[in-house]
Amino acid sequence: MDDAFAYLFSPLAQAFVRRALAAGLVLGAAGALLGVFIVQRGLGLLSDGLAHATFGGLALGLLLGASADRAIWIALPFTVAIALGIQHVRGRTRLGGDVATGVFFAVSFAAGVLLLGLRGARAAPVNVEALLFGSLLTVSPEALAVIVAVAMLVVAMLAWIGPRLAYATFDPELAALSGVPVARLEYALLAMTALVVVVGVKTVGVVLVSAFVVIPAATANLIGRSLPSIAAIAVALSLAGTACGLFASYHLNVATGATIILTLGAAFFVALVFRRR
Amino acid sequence: MSDALRLRGVTVEVGGRLLLDQVSFEVAVGEFCGLCGPNGGGKTTLLKTALGLLTPSAGELTVLGRPPQEARRHVGYLPQAKAFNAGFPASAAELILANQRGAWPVRVSAAGRERARQALARVGGERLLEAPLRALSGGELQRVFLARALVNEPALLLLDEPTAGVDARGRGEFLELLAGVAARADLAAVLVTHNAAAVRRLADRVVYLDGRVLAWGPPAEVLDRKWDREAFGGQDHDSPVSPLCEDDDG
Repeated sequence: MDDAFAYLFSPLAQAFVRRALAAGLVLGAAGALLGVFIVQRGLGLLSDGLAHATFGGLALGLLLGASADRAIWIALPFTVAIALGIQHVRGRTRLGGDVATGVFFAVSFAAGVLLLGLRGARAAPVNVEALLFGSLLTVSPEALAVIVAVAMLVVAMLAWIGPRLAYATFDPELAALSGVPVARLEYALLAMTALVVVVGVKTVGVVLVSAFVVIPAATANLIGRSLPSIAAIAVALSLAGTACGLFASYHLNVATGATIILTLGAAFFVALVFRRR
Repeated sequence: MSDALRLRGVTVEVGGRLLLDQVSFEVAVGEFCGLCGPNGGGKTTLLKTALGLLTPSAGELTVLGRPPQEARRHVGYLPQAKAFNAGFPASAAELILANQRGAWPVRVSAAGRERARQALARVGGERLLEAPLRALSGGELQRVFLARALVNEPALLLLDEPTAGVDARGRGEFLELLAGVAARADLAAVLVTHNAAAVRRLADRVVYLDGRVLAWGPPAEVLDRKWDREAFGGQDHDSPVSPLCEDDDG
Protein backbone atom coordinates (compact mmCIF):
# COMPACT_ATOMS: atom_id res chain seq x y z
CA MET A 1 0.00 0.00 0.00
CA ASP A 2 2.78 2.37 0.95
CA ASP A 3 4.47 1.57 -2.31
CA ALA A 4 1.35 2.44 -4.23
CA PHE A 5 1.09 5.81 -2.47
CA ALA A 6 4.76 6.45 -3.00
CA TYR A 7 4.37 5.68 -6.71
CA LEU A 8 1.21 7.80 -7.01
CA PHE A 9 2.73 10.87 -5.40
CA SER A 10 6.25 10.39 -6.75
CA PRO A 11 5.79 13.26 -9.27
CA LEU A 12 5.75 15.68 -6.32
CA ALA A 13 9.47 15.13 -5.94
CA GLN A 14 9.89 17.42 -8.91
CA ALA A 15 9.55 21.19 -8.47
CA PHE A 16 7.74 21.79 -11.76
CA VAL A 17 5.03 19.31 -10.74
CA ARG A 18 4.60 20.99 -7.36
CA ARG A 19 4.23 24.35 -9.12
CA ALA A 20 1.75 22.86 -11.58
CA LEU A 21 -0.29 21.35 -8.76
CA ALA A 22 -0.30 24.57 -6.78
CA ALA A 23 -1.28 26.59 -9.86
CA GLY A 24 -4.06 24.16 -10.76
CA LEU A 25 -5.47 23.98 -7.23
CA VAL A 26 -5.44 27.72 -6.65
CA LEU A 27 -6.83 28.52 -10.07
CA GLY A 28 -9.43 25.77 -9.79
CA ALA A 29 -10.69 26.99 -6.43
CA ALA A 30 -11.04 30.60 -7.58
CA GLY A 31 -12.60 29.55 -10.88
CA ALA A 32 -15.09 27.25 -9.14
CA LEU A 33 -16.23 30.02 -6.77
CA LEU A 34 -16.77 32.40 -9.66
CA GLY A 35 -18.42 29.61 -11.59
CA VAL A 36 -21.15 29.33 -8.96
CA PHE A 37 -22.36 32.81 -9.94
CA ILE A 38 -21.61 32.41 -13.65
CA VAL A 39 -23.61 29.19 -13.88
CA GLN A 40 -26.49 30.54 -11.80
CA ARG A 41 -26.72 33.49 -14.18
CA GLY A 42 -26.75 31.27 -17.26
CA LEU A 43 -23.48 32.80 -18.48
CA GLY A 44 -21.66 29.52 -19.03
CA LEU A 45 -20.29 30.66 -22.36
CA LEU A 46 -18.90 33.86 -20.90
CA SER A 47 -15.65 32.36 -19.67
CA ASP A 48 -15.18 30.64 -23.01
CA GLY A 49 -15.68 33.93 -24.78
CA LEU A 50 -13.26 35.70 -22.46
CA ALA A 51 -10.67 33.00 -23.02
CA HIS A 52 -10.82 33.63 -26.74
CA ALA A 53 -10.62 37.35 -26.06
CA THR A 54 -7.46 36.62 -24.06
CA PHE A 55 -5.94 35.24 -27.25
CA GLY A 56 -6.38 38.69 -28.77
CA GLY A 57 -4.73 40.29 -25.73
CA LEU A 58 -1.78 37.92 -25.81
CA ALA A 59 -1.34 38.53 -29.53
CA LEU A 60 -1.34 42.27 -28.91
CA GLY A 61 1.32 41.81 -26.23
CA LEU A 62 3.46 39.76 -28.59
CA LEU A 63 3.07 42.35 -31.32
CA LEU A 64 4.24 45.01 -28.89
CA GLY A 65 7.39 43.01 -28.32
CA ALA A 66 6.59 41.23 -25.04
CA SER A 67 7.73 37.66 -24.49
CA ALA A 68 5.12 34.90 -24.35
CA ASP A 69 5.32 35.02 -20.53
CA ARG A 70 5.12 38.81 -20.25
CA ALA A 71 2.31 39.19 -22.80
CA ILE A 72 -0.06 38.31 -19.97
CA TRP A 73 0.38 41.86 -18.65
CA ILE A 74 -1.18 43.17 -21.84
CA ALA A 75 -3.78 40.40 -21.95
CA LEU A 76 -5.02 41.14 -18.40
CA PRO A 77 -6.28 44.70 -18.99
CA PHE A 78 -7.31 43.80 -22.54
CA THR A 79 -9.56 40.95 -21.38
CA VAL A 80 -10.95 42.88 -18.43
CA ALA A 81 -11.87 45.65 -20.89
CA ILE A 82 -13.60 43.09 -23.12
CA ALA A 83 -15.50 41.73 -20.08
CA LEU A 84 -16.66 45.20 -19.13
CA GLY A 85 -17.65 45.78 -22.76
CA ILE A 86 -19.76 42.64 -22.73
CA GLN A 87 -21.47 43.75 -19.52
CA HIS A 88 -22.04 47.22 -20.95
CA VAL A 89 -23.73 45.77 -24.04
CA ARG A 90 -25.81 43.42 -21.86
CA GLY A 91 -26.93 46.27 -19.65
CA ARG A 92 -27.60 48.88 -22.33
CA THR A 93 -29.18 46.84 -25.10
CA ARG A 94 -31.73 44.11 -25.47
CA LEU A 95 -29.06 41.69 -26.64
CA GLY A 96 -28.57 38.70 -24.35
CA GLY A 97 -25.30 37.91 -22.65
CA ASP A 98 -24.59 35.08 -25.09
CA VAL A 99 -24.95 37.39 -28.09
CA ALA A 100 -22.72 40.09 -26.60
CA THR A 101 -20.17 37.42 -25.63
CA GLY A 102 -20.30 35.88 -29.10
CA VAL A 103 -19.61 39.20 -30.81
CA PHE A 104 -16.73 40.23 -28.54
CA PHE A 105 -15.18 36.78 -28.56
CA ALA A 106 -15.18 36.49 -32.37
CA VAL A 107 -13.85 40.00 -32.89
CA SER A 108 -11.10 39.56 -30.28
CA PHE A 109 -10.03 36.20 -31.61
CA ALA A 110 -9.97 37.47 -35.18
CA ALA A 111 -7.95 40.48 -34.03
CA GLY A 112 -5.54 38.08 -32.32
CA VAL A 113 -4.98 36.11 -35.52
CA LEU A 114 -4.47 39.35 -37.42
CA LEU A 115 -2.06 40.78 -34.84
CA LEU A 116 0.06 37.62 -34.82
CA GLY A 117 0.34 37.92 -38.60
CA LEU A 118 1.47 41.52 -38.32
CA ARG A 119 4.56 40.61 -36.31
CA GLY A 120 7.81 41.13 -38.16
CA ALA A 121 9.59 38.28 -39.88
CA ARG A 122 12.39 38.46 -37.31
CA ALA A 123 10.05 38.19 -34.34
CA ALA A 124 10.50 35.18 -32.09
CA PRO A 125 8.27 32.27 -33.15
CA VAL A 126 5.10 31.73 -31.11
CA ASN A 127 3.90 28.30 -30.11
CA VAL A 128 0.23 28.83 -30.94
CA GLU A 129 -0.60 25.29 -29.86
CA ALA A 130 0.72 26.00 -26.36
CA LEU A 131 -1.38 29.15 -26.32
CA LEU A 132 -4.53 27.27 -27.32
CA PHE A 133 -4.07 24.18 -25.19
CA GLY A 134 -1.89 25.41 -22.33
CA SER A 135 1.08 23.93 -20.57
CA LEU A 136 0.41 23.49 -16.87
CA LEU A 137 3.68 21.68 -16.31
CA THR A 138 5.69 24.67 -17.52
CA VAL A 139 4.26 27.19 -15.06
CA SER A 140 7.14 29.36 -13.91
CA PRO A 141 7.53 30.62 -10.31
CA GLU A 142 6.65 34.08 -11.62
CA ALA A 143 3.47 32.83 -13.31
CA LEU A 144 2.54 30.91 -10.16
CA ALA A 145 2.89 34.09 -8.13
CA VAL A 146 0.55 35.90 -10.51
CA ILE A 147 -1.98 33.06 -10.33
CA VAL A 148 -1.89 33.04 -6.53
CA ALA A 149 -2.26 36.83 -6.38
CA VAL A 150 -5.24 36.79 -8.75
CA ALA A 151 -6.88 33.92 -6.87
CA MET A 152 -6.44 35.67 -3.51
CA LEU A 153 -7.91 38.86 -4.95
CA VAL A 154 -10.91 36.95 -6.33
CA VAL A 155 -11.55 35.06 -3.09
CA ALA A 156 -11.26 38.26 -1.04
CA MET A 157 -13.60 40.11 -3.40
CA LEU A 158 -16.15 37.29 -3.31
CA ALA A 159 -15.99 37.20 0.48
CA TRP A 160 -16.84 40.89 0.42
CA ILE A 161 -19.46 41.13 -2.33
CA GLY A 162 -20.60 37.50 -2.57
CA PRO A 163 -23.78 37.77 -0.44
CA ARG A 164 -24.95 40.87 -2.30
CA LEU A 165 -23.97 39.37 -5.64
CA ALA A 166 -25.96 36.28 -4.72
CA TYR A 167 -29.02 38.41 -3.98
CA ALA A 168 -28.61 40.17 -7.34
CA THR A 169 -28.27 36.77 -8.99
CA PHE A 170 -31.52 35.64 -7.40
CA ASP A 171 -33.49 38.72 -8.53
CA PRO A 172 -31.76 41.94 -9.63
CA GLU A 173 -34.83 44.12 -9.11
CA LEU A 174 -35.54 42.95 -5.57
CA ALA A 175 -31.85 43.23 -4.76
CA ALA A 176 -31.73 46.79 -6.09
CA LEU A 177 -34.72 47.67 -3.93
CA SER A 178 -32.79 46.37 -0.92
CA GLY A 179 -29.94 48.73 -1.75
CA VAL A 180 -27.68 46.31 -3.62
CA PRO A 181 -25.60 48.08 -6.32
CA VAL A 182 -26.53 45.47 -8.90
CA ALA A 183 -24.85 46.95 -11.99
CA ARG A 184 -21.53 47.56 -10.21
CA LEU A 185 -21.48 44.03 -8.81
CA GLU A 186 -22.14 42.58 -12.25
CA TYR A 187 -19.21 44.54 -13.69
CA ALA A 188 -17.07 43.26 -10.82
CA LEU A 189 -18.12 39.65 -11.50
CA LEU A 190 -17.16 39.89 -15.16
CA ALA A 191 -13.89 41.64 -14.39
CA MET A 192 -12.95 38.93 -11.86
CA THR A 193 -13.87 36.23 -14.37
CA ALA A 194 -11.64 37.90 -16.93
CA LEU A 195 -8.72 37.89 -14.48
CA VAL A 196 -9.09 34.19 -13.69
CA VAL A 197 -9.51 33.30 -17.34
CA VAL A 198 -6.38 35.20 -18.40
CA VAL A 199 -4.15 33.50 -15.85
CA GLY A 200 -5.92 30.22 -16.57
CA VAL A 201 -5.05 30.42 -20.24
CA LYS A 202 -1.43 30.02 -19.21
CA THR A 203 -2.16 26.71 -17.50
CA VAL A 204 -4.85 24.95 -19.51
CA GLY A 205 -5.05 27.07 -22.62
CA VAL A 206 -7.64 29.15 -24.41
CA VAL A 207 -9.82 26.23 -25.37
CA LEU A 208 -10.13 24.56 -21.99
CA VAL A 209 -9.89 27.29 -19.37
CA SER A 210 -13.63 27.91 -19.26
CA ALA A 211 -14.09 24.34 -18.05
CA PHE A 212 -12.28 25.34 -14.84
CA VAL A 213 -14.98 27.91 -14.23
CA VAL A 214 -18.07 26.14 -15.48
CA ILE A 215 -17.80 22.38 -14.90
CA PRO A 216 -17.26 22.20 -11.10
CA ALA A 217 -20.03 24.74 -10.50
CA ALA A 218 -22.38 22.98 -12.91
CA THR A 219 -21.70 19.65 -11.18
CA ALA A 220 -22.20 21.17 -7.73
CA ASN A 221 -25.45 22.71 -8.91
CA LEU A 222 -26.77 19.20 -9.56
CA ILE A 223 -25.94 18.10 -6.03
CA GLY A 224 -26.11 21.08 -3.66
CA ARG A 225 -29.22 22.39 -1.95
CA SER A 226 -28.10 25.87 -0.94
CA LEU A 227 -25.71 28.39 -2.41
CA PRO A 228 -23.02 27.90 0.28
CA SER A 229 -23.18 24.13 -0.14
CA ILE A 230 -22.95 24.48 -3.92
CA ALA A 231 -19.89 26.71 -3.53
CA ALA A 232 -18.23 24.25 -1.14
CA ILE A 233 -18.94 21.28 -3.42
CA ALA A 234 -17.70 23.17 -6.48
CA VAL A 235 -14.40 24.01 -4.80
CA ALA A 236 -13.96 20.47 -3.47
CA LEU A 237 -14.66 18.97 -6.90
CA SER A 238 -12.28 21.38 -8.56
CA LEU A 239 -9.47 20.59 -6.10
CA ALA A 240 -10.01 16.84 -6.36
CA GLY A 241 -10.36 16.91 -10.15
CA THR A 242 -7.22 18.99 -10.58
CA ALA A 243 -5.12 16.76 -8.33
CA CYS A 244 -6.42 13.51 -9.80
CA GLY A 245 -6.10 14.80 -13.36
CA LEU A 246 -2.57 16.02 -12.83
CA PHE A 247 -1.28 12.81 -11.30
CA ALA A 248 -3.11 10.68 -13.85
CA SER A 249 -1.69 12.68 -16.74
CA TYR A 250 1.81 12.36 -15.34
CA HIS A 251 1.64 8.61 -14.94
CA LEU A 252 -0.17 8.07 -18.25
CA ASN A 253 2.09 10.57 -20.01
CA VAL A 254 -0.82 12.44 -21.61
CA ALA A 255 -1.81 16.12 -21.83
CA THR A 256 -2.28 17.52 -18.31
CA GLY A 257 -4.89 20.22 -19.00
CA ALA A 258 -7.04 17.88 -21.02
CA THR A 259 -6.84 15.15 -18.37
CA ILE A 260 -7.93 17.56 -15.64
CA ILE A 261 -10.88 18.73 -17.71
CA LEU A 262 -11.88 15.15 -18.52
CA THR A 263 -11.72 14.29 -14.81
CA LEU A 264 -13.96 17.23 -13.99
CA GLY A 265 -16.25 16.23 -16.86
CA ALA A 266 -16.46 12.65 -15.55
CA ALA A 267 -17.60 13.97 -12.17
CA PHE A 268 -20.26 16.02 -13.93
CA PHE A 269 -21.68 13.01 -15.73
CA VAL A 270 -21.66 10.91 -12.56
CA ALA A 271 -23.55 13.68 -10.77
CA LEU A 272 -25.96 13.89 -13.68
CA VAL A 273 -26.83 10.23 -13.24
CA PHE A 274 -27.15 10.35 -9.46
CA ARG A 275 -28.50 13.89 -9.06
CA ARG A 276 -31.31 14.66 -6.66
CA ARG A 277 -34.66 14.53 -8.43
CA MET B 1 -48.28 63.56 9.57
CA SER B 2 -47.35 63.48 5.87
CA ASP B 3 -49.05 61.25 3.34
CA ALA B 4 -47.70 57.75 2.83
CA LEU B 5 -47.64 58.39 -0.92
CA ARG B 6 -48.08 61.70 -2.65
CA LEU B 7 -47.96 62.44 -6.36
CA ARG B 8 -48.23 65.89 -7.86
CA GLY B 9 -48.25 66.19 -11.65
CA VAL B 10 -46.04 63.13 -12.04
CA THR B 11 -45.06 62.42 -15.63
CA VAL B 12 -42.98 59.39 -16.57
CA GLU B 13 -41.57 58.67 -20.00
CA VAL B 14 -39.67 55.52 -20.90
CA GLY B 15 -37.97 55.21 -24.27
CA GLY B 16 -39.84 58.25 -25.55
CA ARG B 17 -43.21 56.74 -24.61
CA LEU B 18 -45.43 58.64 -22.21
CA LEU B 19 -46.50 56.17 -19.51
CA LEU B 20 -47.80 58.53 -16.82
CA ASP B 21 -49.18 61.95 -17.68
CA GLN B 22 -49.59 64.55 -14.93
CA VAL B 23 -50.74 62.05 -12.31
CA SER B 24 -51.77 63.50 -8.97
CA PHE B 25 -53.25 61.79 -5.93
CA GLU B 26 -52.20 60.82 -2.46
CA VAL B 27 -52.56 57.89 -0.12
CA ALA B 28 -52.90 58.75 3.54
CA VAL B 29 -51.21 56.86 6.36
CA GLY B 30 -53.39 53.87 7.19
CA GLU B 31 -55.32 54.09 3.92
CA PHE B 32 -55.80 51.18 1.50
CA CYS B 33 -55.87 52.39 -2.09
CA GLY B 34 -56.95 50.25 -5.04
CA LEU B 35 -55.26 51.08 -8.33
CA CYS B 36 -57.18 49.92 -11.39
CA GLY B 37 -56.84 50.48 -15.08
CA PRO B 38 -56.23 48.71 -18.36
CA ASN B 39 -53.07 46.83 -19.21
CA GLY B 40 -50.45 49.38 -20.20
CA GLY B 41 -52.27 52.05 -18.22
CA GLY B 42 -49.24 52.80 -16.07
CA LYS B 43 -50.13 51.00 -12.84
CA THR B 44 -46.89 49.06 -12.53
CA THR B 45 -44.98 52.11 -13.79
CA LEU B 46 -46.47 54.10 -10.95
CA LEU B 47 -45.37 51.51 -8.38
CA LYS B 48 -41.86 51.39 -9.86
CA THR B 49 -41.68 55.17 -9.70
CA ALA B 50 -42.78 55.04 -6.07
CA LEU B 51 -40.00 52.52 -5.47
CA GLY B 52 -37.44 54.81 -7.09
CA LEU B 53 -36.76 52.42 -9.95
CA LEU B 54 -38.06 54.99 -12.46
CA THR B 55 -37.57 58.74 -12.29
CA PRO B 56 -40.35 61.19 -13.20
CA SER B 57 -39.54 63.60 -16.02
CA ALA B 58 -41.87 66.11 -14.39
CA GLY B 59 -43.80 66.49 -11.16
CA GLU B 60 -43.06 65.38 -7.65
CA LEU B 61 -43.49 62.04 -5.94
CA THR B 62 -42.79 61.52 -2.26
CA VAL B 63 -43.01 58.42 -0.12
CA LEU B 64 -43.54 59.07 3.58
CA GLY B 65 -42.53 62.66 2.90
CA ARG B 66 -39.20 61.68 1.33
CA PRO B 67 -37.84 60.97 -2.14
CA PRO B 68 -38.55 57.33 -3.07
CA GLN B 69 -34.92 56.20 -2.90
CA GLU B 70 -34.63 57.38 0.68
CA ALA B 71 -37.84 55.69 1.78
CA ARG B 72 -37.23 52.21 0.32
CA ARG B 73 -36.42 50.69 3.68
CA HIS B 74 -39.93 51.56 4.84
CA VAL B 75 -41.72 50.23 1.76
CA GLY B 76 -42.80 46.62 1.31
CA TYR B 77 -43.18 45.49 -2.29
CA LEU B 78 -44.95 42.46 -3.66
CA PRO B 79 -44.06 42.21 -7.37
CA GLN B 80 -46.51 41.03 -9.99
CA ALA B 81 -44.30 38.70 -11.97
CA LYS B 82 -42.03 36.55 -9.86
CA ALA B 83 -39.04 37.24 -12.05
CA PHE B 84 -36.58 35.55 -9.72
CA ASN B 85 -34.04 33.07 -11.00
CA ALA B 86 -35.97 29.80 -10.69
CA GLY B 87 -32.77 27.76 -10.76
CA PHE B 88 -31.40 29.56 -7.72
CA PRO B 89 -31.35 27.32 -4.63
CA ALA B 90 -33.42 29.63 -2.45
CA SER B 91 -35.56 28.83 0.57
CA ALA B 92 -38.34 31.01 1.94
CA ALA B 93 -36.28 31.79 5.05
CA GLU B 94 -33.31 32.93 2.95
CA LEU B 95 -35.48 35.16 0.77
CA ILE B 96 -37.08 36.86 3.77
CA LEU B 97 -33.75 37.39 5.52
CA ALA B 98 -32.18 38.72 2.30
CA ASN B 99 -34.73 41.53 2.30
CA GLN B 100 -33.99 42.27 5.92
CA ARG B 101 -30.20 42.30 5.50
CA GLY B 102 -29.81 43.60 1.95
CA ALA B 103 -27.65 40.57 1.16
CA TRP B 104 -28.18 36.86 0.63
CA PRO B 105 -27.59 35.03 3.94
CA VAL B 106 -24.51 32.83 3.81
CA ARG B 107 -25.79 31.06 6.91
CA VAL B 108 -29.23 31.25 8.49
CA SER B 109 -28.72 31.68 12.23
CA ALA B 110 -31.25 30.56 14.82
CA ALA B 111 -32.25 34.19 15.39
CA GLY B 112 -32.62 34.76 11.66
CA ARG B 113 -34.68 31.63 11.27
CA GLU B 114 -36.98 32.78 14.07
CA ARG B 115 -37.36 36.20 12.44
CA ALA B 116 -38.30 34.57 9.13
CA ARG B 117 -40.67 32.19 10.91
CA GLN B 118 -42.45 35.08 12.55
CA ALA B 119 -42.81 36.88 9.22
CA LEU B 120 -44.25 33.75 7.65
CA ALA B 121 -46.55 33.19 10.61
CA ARG B 122 -48.19 36.55 9.91
CA VAL B 123 -49.26 35.27 6.51
CA GLY B 124 -50.11 31.73 7.59
CA GLY B 125 -47.05 30.25 5.96
CA GLU B 126 -44.91 28.90 8.79
CA ARG B 127 -44.72 25.48 7.21
CA LEU B 128 -43.01 27.05 4.18
CA LEU B 129 -39.96 28.20 6.18
CA GLU B 130 -37.49 25.67 4.77
CA ALA B 131 -39.26 25.06 1.49
CA PRO B 132 -37.33 25.61 -1.74
CA LEU B 133 -39.04 28.42 -3.64
CA ARG B 134 -39.05 26.47 -6.88
CA ALA B 135 -41.23 23.81 -5.26
CA LEU B 136 -43.99 26.22 -4.16
CA SER B 137 -47.36 26.78 -5.79
CA GLY B 138 -48.43 30.23 -6.98
CA GLY B 139 -50.45 30.86 -3.81
CA GLU B 140 -47.64 29.68 -1.53
CA LEU B 141 -45.16 31.89 -3.36
CA GLN B 142 -47.43 34.87 -2.82
CA ARG B 143 -47.48 34.19 0.92
CA VAL B 144 -43.70 33.95 1.05
CA PHE B 145 -43.26 37.15 -0.96
CA LEU B 146 -45.82 38.92 1.24
CA ALA B 147 -43.89 37.79 4.32
CA ARG B 148 -40.77 39.13 2.63
CA ALA B 149 -42.50 42.46 2.05
CA LEU B 150 -43.61 42.65 5.69
CA VAL B 151 -40.40 41.61 7.41
CA ASN B 152 -39.05 45.16 7.71
CA GLU B 153 -42.31 46.43 9.22
CA PRO B 154 -43.07 48.74 6.29
CA ALA B 155 -45.20 51.88 6.53
CA LEU B 156 -46.28 51.54 2.90
CA LEU B 157 -47.12 48.29 1.12
CA LEU B 158 -47.12 48.20 -2.70
CA LEU B 159 -48.94 45.17 -4.10
CA ASP B 160 -48.77 44.56 -7.84
CA GLU B 161 -51.57 42.22 -8.92
CA PRO B 162 -50.92 39.84 -6.02
CA THR B 163 -53.68 37.40 -6.96
CA ALA B 164 -52.82 37.11 -10.66
CA GLY B 165 -52.22 33.48 -11.53
CA VAL B 166 -53.66 32.20 -8.24
CA ASP B 167 -56.68 29.89 -8.36
CA ALA B 168 -60.08 31.09 -7.11
CA ARG B 169 -59.78 29.49 -3.68
CA GLY B 170 -56.25 30.75 -3.18
CA ARG B 171 -57.35 34.18 -4.35
CA GLY B 172 -60.08 34.37 -1.74
CA GLU B 173 -57.74 33.24 1.02
CA PHE B 174 -55.10 35.72 -0.04
CA LEU B 175 -57.55 38.62 -0.08
CA GLU B 176 -58.62 37.73 3.48
CA LEU B 177 -54.97 37.66 4.41
CA LEU B 178 -54.41 41.10 2.89
CA ALA B 179 -57.44 42.42 4.74
CA GLY B 180 -55.89 41.26 8.01
CA VAL B 181 -52.51 42.75 7.17
CA ALA B 182 -54.01 46.04 6.07
CA ALA B 183 -56.01 46.41 9.26
CA ARG B 184 -52.93 47.91 10.90
CA ALA B 185 -53.70 51.61 11.41
CA ASP B 186 -50.19 52.78 10.59
CA LEU B 187 -49.84 50.80 7.37
CA ALA B 188 -50.85 52.29 4.02
CA ALA B 189 -51.22 50.08 0.99
CA VAL B 190 -51.59 50.45 -2.76
CA LEU B 191 -53.11 47.42 -4.48
CA VAL B 192 -52.81 47.15 -8.27
CA THR B 193 -55.49 44.81 -9.48
CA HIS B 194 -58.01 44.03 -12.21
CA ASN B 195 -60.20 42.38 -9.61
CA ALA B 196 -63.17 44.57 -8.69
CA ALA B 197 -64.11 42.21 -5.87
CA ALA B 198 -60.72 42.73 -4.29
CA VAL B 199 -61.07 46.48 -4.53
CA ARG B 200 -64.55 46.41 -2.98
CA ARG B 201 -63.35 44.11 -0.21
CA LEU B 202 -60.15 45.93 0.70
CA ALA B 203 -59.87 49.45 -0.61
CA ASP B 204 -60.86 52.67 1.14
CA ARG B 205 -60.42 54.45 -2.17
CA VAL B 206 -59.83 53.47 -5.75
CA VAL B 207 -57.87 55.27 -8.45
CA TYR B 208 -58.50 54.54 -12.13
CA LEU B 209 -55.37 55.04 -14.12
CA ASP B 210 -54.95 55.00 -17.88
CA GLY B 211 -51.82 57.07 -18.33
CA ARG B 212 -53.64 59.77 -16.39
CA VAL B 213 -56.05 59.57 -13.48
CA LEU B 214 -59.54 59.05 -14.91
CA ALA B 215 -61.35 58.85 -11.61
CA TRP B 216 -60.79 58.36 -7.94
CA GLY B 217 -62.99 58.00 -4.91
CA PRO B 218 -64.71 55.36 -2.77
CA PRO B 219 -64.98 51.98 -4.55
CA ALA B 220 -68.79 51.94 -4.56
CA GLU B 221 -68.89 55.34 -6.17
CA VAL B 222 -66.19 54.77 -8.74
CA LEU B 223 -66.76 51.14 -9.68
CA ASP B 224 -70.51 51.47 -10.17
CA ARG B 225 -70.40 54.74 -12.06
CA LYS B 226 -71.85 54.83 -15.54
CA TRP B 227 -68.93 55.73 -17.77
CA ASP B 228 -69.70 58.10 -20.57
CA ARG B 229 -67.92 58.29 -23.89
CA GLU B 230 -66.35 61.63 -23.20
CA ALA B 231 -64.56 60.47 -20.08
CA PHE B 232 -62.80 57.75 -22.08
CA GLY B 233 -61.90 59.84 -25.09
CA GLY B 234 -64.80 58.66 -27.21
CA GLN B 235 -64.59 54.94 -26.34
CA ASP B 236 -67.79 53.20 -25.35
CA HIS B 237 -67.60 52.19 -21.69
CA ASP B 238 -71.15 52.15 -20.39
CA SER B 239 -70.99 49.09 -18.18
CA PRO B 240 -71.93 49.70 -14.55
CA VAL B 241 -68.71 47.98 -13.58
CA SER B 242 -65.82 49.68 -15.23
CA PRO B 243 -64.24 47.86 -18.14
CA LEU B 244 -60.94 48.52 -16.41
CA CYS B 245 -61.81 46.34 -13.45
CA GLU B 246 -63.38 42.92 -13.76
CA ASP B 247 -65.27 40.96 -11.17
CA ASP B 248 -63.91 37.53 -12.01
CA ASP B 249 -60.37 38.22 -13.00
CA GLY B 250 -57.27 37.62 -10.93
